[in-house]
Amino acid sequence: MSAQIPISTFKPYRGEKARLARAYDYLILVLALFLFIGSFHLHFALTVGDWDFWVDWKDRQWWPLVTPLIGITFPAAVQAVLWDKFRLPLGATLCVAALLLGTWVTRVFAYHYWNFFPINMVLPATMVPGALVLDTLLMLTNSLTITSIFGGGAFALLFYPTNWPIFGMFHQAVDYHNSQLSVADVFGFQYIRTGMPEYLRIIERGTLRTYGQYATPLSAFCSALLCSLMYPLWWKIGKLFADTRYLKRI
Amino acid sequence: MKSLFKPWLMAVLCINVLSIFAVPSAQAHGEKALEPFIRMRTIQWYDVQWSTQKFNVNDEVSVSGKFHVAEDWPISVPKPEASFLNISTPGPVLIRTERYLNGKPWTNSVSLEPGGDYEFKVVMKGRLPGHYHIHPFFNLKDAGQVMGPGVWLDIGGDPADFSNTIQTINGEMIDMESFGFANGVFWHLFWGLLAAAWLLWWVRRPLFISRYRMLDAGLEHELITDQDKTIAKAVLVGVPVLVLALNAVTANQYPDAIPLQAGLDRILPLPAQVNAGLVNVDTLKAEYNVAQRAMLLQFSIDNRSQGAVRIGQFSTSNVHFMNADLASVNSKPGKDDVSNNGLSLSDNTPIAPGEQRTVTVEVRDAAWESEKLDGLIKDADSRLGGLLFLYDDVMGKRYISSISAAVIPKFN
Ligand SMILES: [Cu+2]
Repeated sequence: MSAQIPISTFKPYRGEKARLARAYDYLILVLALFLFIGSFHLHFALTVGDWDFWVDWKDRQWWPLVTPLIGITFPAAVQAVLWDKFRLPLGATLCVAALLLGTWVTRVFAYHYWNFFPINMVLPATMVPGALVLDTLLMLTNSLTITSIFGGGAFALLFYPTNWPIFGMFHQAVDYHNSQLSVADVFGFQYIRTGMPEYLRIIERGTLRTYGQYATPLSAFCSALLCSLMYPLWWKIGKLFADTRYLKRI
Repeated sequence: MKSLFKPWLMAVLCINVLSIFAVPSAQAHGEKALEPFIRMRTIQWYDVQWSTQKFNVNDEVSVSGKFHVAEDWPISVPKPEASFLNISTPGPVLIRTERYLNGKPWTNSVSLEPGGDYEFKVVMKGRLPGHYHIHPFFNLKDAGQVMGPGVWLDIGGDPADFSNTIQTINGEMIDMESFGFANGVFWHLFWGLLAAAWLLWWVRRPLFISRYRMLDAGLEHELITDQDKTIAKAVLVGVPVLVLALNAVTANQYPDAIPLQAGLDRILPLPAQVNAGLVNVDTLKAEYNVAQRAMLLQFSIDNRSQGAVRIGQFSTSNVHFMNADLASVNSKPGKDDVSNNGLSLSDNTPIAPGEQRTVTVEVRDAAWESEKLDGLIKDADSRLGGLLFLYDDVMGKRYISSISAAVIPKFN
């Protein structure tokens, strides 16, 4: 770190210098937006993938477990940089907004116009509320520990209730030729996906059993615990990538 | 720094483009991609027919047929414990409205039994006009796609004519093409605007360089004002409360919501249709002559039926090798099927009731090569499989045997 400049001698930029600094802000913002749209969206598509693509993959157990866990990665890393170096409490919201922009472009162009799926079958989930909580909590507490535990937890716990107003209606039951399906399942049956047979969906499989009917809260708490660990991990990764050395030369 | 900027920008743009086109529903169906022993010895299709190959948007079309699940299922292919009869289409240009296995409605996946006989029917509805190459095929869990015969479909008409409504258990009719779309867009806009407002609140101020300098100068208190803190507190409390409230409203609205359904359908095989016991075929030997593209098969045929039978057809991996002498009785392949008169017999006279005869059948055709079935001799599992059709033309009966044998190559 460079030597602290005494407060009395600090002079904010004025005139041309201020204008250039502002232009630099916009350049960085635009590039960051594209970088996050591309990289976070790709990262998300390759990991959460089908869970976020298809309405009939959005189950009550794995979807609320996997999505926040992957969703918290980039926000944590970007927060580490933007908060630590600039005291800008918007890293999580910026990442999630960029992800959604990229996702919507893909769903509309690649899924709908190119591959003919109705958009309502491929609606993305949103993580904006969780991101807002992460940003404001970090800003108010300025503490990695508190943000990890409570912010990470909230990010996971808010995911399912945030998205239920979007996807709840797809869980109405249908008597489809003598078998009970949800509307979401009917989408999966009717709109033919060559590479996606029904059995590929991971629905209440594995050792994570649904005790009684409480699949979602259990998954969400499990995810909250994992998110609290994932958050500081990606914060550290963000730190590794943060490199503001060149700023000192300005 | 500057020299790194350009490649970095290129990389970012490439990632963007890639991520937008990285769609998993690939269109290539690779009907000949799977090793021949898998195509020949897993799902053995026959009598596959389309109700029509030319129809309009919103018209129904169905494909029906039969298949035998080979007894000699390859050891390297997982058993068909979860299987899904699919249709290879370039996206949902058709929708699948009904599907039956052995006459029973079938919506989820099913477990098939090796040696079992099944008949299927898939009802579809035209959605987008065009000229499409389409197959029924089986997705076999952990094994891949075993294609049925391919056809060309012509869908005419206007895409605007398409309609698809279903009824929920509560009696509500819903339009699948638009259901939940406006609602989904609304919530995305709602949260999106909130996110945008939060971002703009910060972005309108001088950002990176000036904030970095001020932080460095120990002026942190000027970067986050009291007003910022008040707003942040409101967001921190307000957003979760709003989320939970909206969730409660939705939960109230759909009290009978069910989880996604993922049970396996339970459908038993039909009474034996293939290898049914009246005419027994035992494969003694199979020899493939590479230069002549000819498979020499030696069968011991035991006719325990009431009438005389003759070999009419050998079919494997959707290629039909026909005995030209039985053209009138042979089951007709579909118009887009690969078929030829490549089958000839050492002794073409009918096999009498009660007779046991050893017959050598030569199956010679370029299709062995063009359909990439000859790759068999270079596979780790070089056993052949297929269906042998025998006919009793007097009684009008058909006997089918699922045969299998290790293939020995002859290179000259
Ligand atoms: Cu084909």
